[in-house]
Amino acid sequence: MVRFLKAGIQLLAALPVLFFTAPINAQTPPPADTVFALAASHTGDDTLALQWTIAPGNYLYRDHLSAKLDGKALPLALPAGQEKDDPNFGRVEIFHDRVEGKLSALPASGQLEVIYQGCAEQGICYPPVAKNIDLATLTIANVHLGLGGQDAINASSPGDEQAAATKPEATTDATDSYLAGNPLLMAAGFLGFGLLLAFTPCVFPMIPILSAMLAQSGDRLSIGRGFVLSSAYVLAMAAAYGIVGLIAGWSGANLQISLQTPIALSLAAAVFVALALSMFGFYEIGLPAGLSNRLSGGARGGGSVMGAAVLGLGSALIVGPCVTPPLAAAMFFAVQSGESFKGAAALFFLGLGMGLPLIAFGTFGARILPRSGPWMIRVRQIFGAVFLGVAAMLIARLLSPSVTLVLWGAFAIGIGVFLGGFDTLEVASGWQRRLGKTAGIIVSLYGATLIVGASGGASDLTRPLAFLAGQGAAQAPSLEAMQTDSPASFDAAMAAHSGKPMLVSFKADWCTVCKSNETIMEQPDIRRRLHALPIIDVDVTKQDASARELMSRFSVVGPPTLFLLDAKGREIPGSRMIGPITAGEIAKRLSQAGA
Amino acid sequence: MDRRQFCQLAIGAGAAPFVAGAAWGSDIKAILHDPEAPEAGNPKGDVTIVDFSDYNCPFCKKAEPDLIRVIKEDGKVRLVYKDWPILTEASVYGAKLALAAKYQGKYDVVHHALMSIPGAKIPQSKMLEAVQASGVDMDRLNADLTAHAAQISALLQRNMEQANALGLQGTPTYLIGPFKTMTLNYAGFKEALAEARRRQAAGNIIK
Repeated sequence: MVRFLKAGIQLLAALPVLFFTAPINAQTPPPADTVFALAASHTGDDTLALQWTIAPGNYLYRDHLSAKLDGKALPLALPAGQEKDDPNFGRVEIFHDRVEGKLSALPASGQLEVIYQGCAEQGICYPPVAKNIDLATLTIANVHLGLGGQDAINASSPGDEQAAATKPEATTDATDSYLAGNPLLMAAGFLGFGLLLAFTPCVFPMIPILSAMLAQSGDRLSIGRGFVLSSAYVLAMAAAYGIVGLIAGWSGANLQISLQTPIALSLAAAVFVALALSMFGFYEIGLPAGLSNRLSGGARGGGSVMGAAVLGLGSALIVGPCVTPPLAAAMFFAVQSGESFKGAAALFFLGLGMGLPLIAFGTFGARILPRSGPWMIRVRQIFGAVFLGVAAMLIARLLSPSVTLVLWGAFAIGIGVFLGGFDTLEVASGWQRRLGKTAGIIVSLYGATLIVGASGGASDLTRPLAFLAGQGAAQAPSLEAMQTDSPASFDAAMAAHSGKPMLVSFKADWCTVCKSNETIMEQPDIRRRLHALPIIDVDVTKQDASARELMSRFSVVGPPTLFLLDAKGREIPGSRMIGPITAGEIAKRLSQAGA
Repeated sequence: MDRRQFCQLAIGAGAAPFVAGAAWGSDIKAILHDPEAPEAGNPKGDVTIVDFSDYNCPFCKKAEPDLIRVIKEDGKVRLVYKDWPILTEASVYGAKLALAAKYQGKYDVVHHALMSIPGAKIPQSKMLEAVQASGVDMDRLNADLTAHAAQISALLQRNMEQANALGLQGTPTYLIGPFKTMTLNYAGFKEALAEARRRQAAGNIIK
């Protein structure tokens, strides 16, 4: 054996290159996380099963498995382990392969910390592994342990949550301090904020819109023209925000919401339909040649600069609802400062920051865009379809879910027709046409399904025919909220549940994030808990005096905003959530409120 | 040497050129020559063994007598102790006692006393008993424990950072010359030392 070993080592030594190329990890013990895998699942309302899967040749110590809830040890029910007795190890019970532990009488939310420790029989003991399990969602996160298996930075994890919980406030504070200083700093600050916002998914839809516009100028597109066009687009977008800021500062009203009024939305949708028609070649949007030449620095290219500006204004509408928390901070300042110019400048720079990457894209990305050819018409048609989609999305905020579904159905059928779903094929037709027809038929079928779904009362784009599966007898009753839209109806709703904590939710029909938040609140675990809690919906779709009064009563900048009131009707500090929520966040706040 | 031992050494040999590992490069000196880290064996030895261990680690305890015997017989090995108490809270306590004993020149004594406690999951009280019975000056030890508390904590922290930088997965881990291994027995340590010397003769020297 020894000789074999030596031969082996010599062989290895003769091949030093092997060492440098071979991954060292393959030779060292695998990390504890690979060897011990933890999974958690609900076995009942308040019980949880923890399953460990242990790689061969490794084991966990029975008395080193533990669970803590918010720092308090919980009784973890474990099966008897295999006995191991060794002078060095003492008498211990161990688990091989797999083991399941059970926890009972758990609350519906909270942070469960599970710690386990084991060794490899080859001769190494792993440090304890700690995992944090969110009881509301059962997501498992790593906890970093320090010396002695103590939560070295345990104090920092609640701290982090605290920081996350107070983020909107923190942003506001940062904004305030920026704005208190000199105007240049303020402009730079908001430009930076905007740049950060540019990388949110809300700004991505602007890229196809911008490229559509660039494609429209076809083979005339140069770097210079790309720059001019995208700048016009971005400046118009920033100007839209600037105007909002100006009026907000001047009137103290919330103009982000005004941009979302039915009239503004209808207008914007009309603009997009007009643009779509132009894309389909019905007409060219243009300014008088002289003006447009001056605007675009002499380049020939029709009135696309104007088109770009119109698109930019429209885009402010699309992006608006997506970025509530940061925009809220800027808005809050604009309103509070009461200085219209400052407010306008702040929001203008915010918009400019959001648009800077788009200018870069429009200028340099334009080089990558294909140049010219008959397919250009095809591309323009595609963008026409995208614009129609945008128009449908805007107008959908005003319509009931079923009508929206019909609208989308019609849209899909239209696309199906354009794809050639109903064109007649010849024997000689090529594969492109056949493929197009296939796609056209599929899209049309989907469209038809949506319309059928709508007549069956469905509202979900992904499951239009779910109603056919029966009305789910097991379904818990849906959340019922009291709808209010004025101080009077709000007070009445509060009085109806006086002496109880309540959840207040500011929402609006146009607010897409509000809708996704509702989906989260409909998750079974959350819904079960919300059921015991009166919910007051404040509908601020109509931005009238009574909506404004309610918003100022609770210092709400815009929907979606959720917070909890205690039994005496006071807002529970730290319970406020602005913008998109997660199940974990809402569960945590509910627990704080004792619900 | 049985098959298991072979695997273990092969694991060490395979991982050998940790010189090539990015984590090592700049930190070798800090790891091998930490002025605060207790040392044993021959200070002028031609091979260095770095011993990352925990006083509640059964494999560390099992390997300890073999390691000491090999170092004594060899006579040319420098041993660096890296207390890396990761398994239990008591391990940290034990490590602090041992490091405090360093100030009266008795780290070795306390280290062996702690490593020789039979059984698993040794609590603090048992560790204290073992240290009291080892013949150190307890008054002095307590005074040093207080006076050098910050230094001791910093060293433990540093050891942990070094272990993490090296990508060590647990205890024990021995760095033997250019090799990195898990637990070994008497024959395994001897074989690893011999191979480390062959490597160093070939120019693969870690200092």
